[in-house]
Amino acid sequence: MNVVGMKTLLVKEVRRFLRVPGQTVLSPLVSTTLYFVVFGYSLGGRIQQVNGVPYTLFIVPGLVFLGIANNAFLNASSSLFITKIQGTVVDLLAAPLGPVEILFGFIGGGMVRGLAVGLLTWGVAIAFSGFHLVHPVATILFLLIIGYVFSVLGLLAGIWAEKFEQINFFPTFVMLPLTFLGGVFYSVDALGEPWHAISLGNPMVYMVEGLRYGMLGQSVLSPALGSGILALLALAATALSFAALRSGYKLKL
Amino acid sequence: MPETVLEVRELVKRFGELTALDSVSLDIRTGEIFALLGPNGAGKTTLIGVVCGLVKKTSGTVKLFGIDLDRDPVTPRFQLGLVPQEINFDPFFTVAESLQIQLGYYGKPRDDARIAEVLTALNLQQKANATTRALSGGMKRRLLIAKALVHRPRLVFLDEPTAGVDVELRRDLWAYVRKLRSEGTTIILTTHYLEEAEELADRVGIINEGKLLLVEEKSALIRRLGERKLEVRFASPLSSLPEPVARAGASLLDGGLRLLYTERSGRPHAGEVLRMLYAAHLPVEDVETRRSRLEDVLLLVLRGNLPGEAISLARSGEAQG
Repeated sequence: MNVVGMKTLLVKEVRRFLRVPGQTVLSPLVSTTLYFVVFGYSLGGRIQQVNGVPYTLFIVPGLVFLGIANNAFLNASSSLFITKIQGTVVDLLAAPLGPVEILFGFIGGGMVRGLAVGLLTWGVAIAFSGFHLVHPVATILFLLIIGYVFSVLGLLAGIWAEKFEQINFFPTFVMLPLTFLGGVFYSVDALGEPWHAISLGNPMVYMVEGLRYGMLGQSVLSPALGSGILALLALAATALSFAALRSGYKLKL
Repeated sequence: MPETVLEVRELVKRFGELTALDSVSLDIRTGEIFALLGPNGAGKTTLIGVVCGLVKKTSGTVKLFGIDLDRDPVTPRFQLGLVPQEINFDPFFTVAESLQIQLGYYGKPRDDARIAEVLTALNLQQKANATTRALSGGMKRRLLIAKALVHRPRLVFLDEPTAGVDVELRRDLWAYVRKLRSEGTTIILTTHYLEEAEELADRVGIINEGKLLLVEEKSALIRRLGERKLEVRFASPLSSLPEPVARAGASLLDGGLRLLYTERSGRPHAGEVLRMLYAAHLPVEDVETRRSRLEDVLLLVLRGNLPGEAISLARSGEAQG
């Protein structure tokens, strides 16, 4: 195992997004802050409380989730896709980097960016609605697993995409609907059937509820079940990415 | 250290209907400069791509430093350097950072002294802190070469390394390639500049339509398939040539004022023909000879105008050792 090579790729990925912090960190921070201000304060005035938690506080875990999910995904997907477009993928393929090194190099980079944006979003939310952290271990676990899952999914999208249009396919047509229907701005418990049952098939619901459990101490879903489902998702996505990298799918001619 | 750094056996690569590599077998010896020649689309870059992990083979085996790439595709690559044909660069990083990243990919720690050494060798030291985006085309090419060499590989692939670069860099690179070879590095070169192959290569391989037609020592190949043309001008026109000269295959042109003779395998040497002319006291005014270059031999092989011996050598694979 080429540990130095993997670490080099990871550090390179982090340095890459730090070279353009306005685009990679500040811009998503501004948009999630706007969500907070607009949804929290406009809707918060009417909704007041959800499951006994003030609405401005209720949406914080979901917004942190959005920050991590979008940025972890985008970092891994765009970075790998750009190496294909620029031709620098040759450097990766010709180097003594196996599927494991490439996988965890990109995942690490995506997680760092996702968590950086997520934590900054949380920082902004704390300024508005105070600091709440009921279960620190569960919070850290869910923060990490969200970052991990979306980094792997981003990597898969980056491997698969051959055109700019395709790289935007997942964020627009898969992630956006699933995140907005994932209980970020509402409690899935409030949905009637069949929407409640359908929502339980959306893995993002477990991520948001898991973070909600960790930060606010309340969740309408079992955090143990959620973490189990997410661990399975992480495992499946990792196995798929590993297989794609190992076979050279859409990377090698 | 094994005698052979690269062993390719019965290598086939198909892209749909197109056979890009058609049962190619080739051995590359430690410490040699091997030039792989052929027209565009012949399969040169595909062959390099399979060895370097950029292209998936259809069948056949590739052993790098004695290790079968089917069993372990990663370990041998620590010793491999590649200058790809297409210029690529990561605009987020400077020249020195790009080399640092490359060192890391190959499992090496940060080594500023080595980076400075390579930058100096490729005349890039002034650009160490420039972003790669700001480099000219020639400088980007230099950076590609620096990236391929910074980790001190034992085998380097130079795929059209001097395409689109100025004469100065070409000469610099040739000197550097010779230096690398003197240090024991094995080099596989593809080039459109046959002068480059003629200047550098110990052996050449000629590939066309995915088939490796011939592999031979460069000088022996030129000697065997090449020609030497002898042209003699006379002070006064000759009505005929002495019998032995005519029998050797020389001919008179321009109303007897010029003689043309082509020396090739099996015919008398040009010097012998000249000696016969002087012996016959003919009014020789000017003598000119021209030996075939690699370019002539390449054209000969590609057009299929090989003497019988060369064809049998190529087909039997005996020339591939």
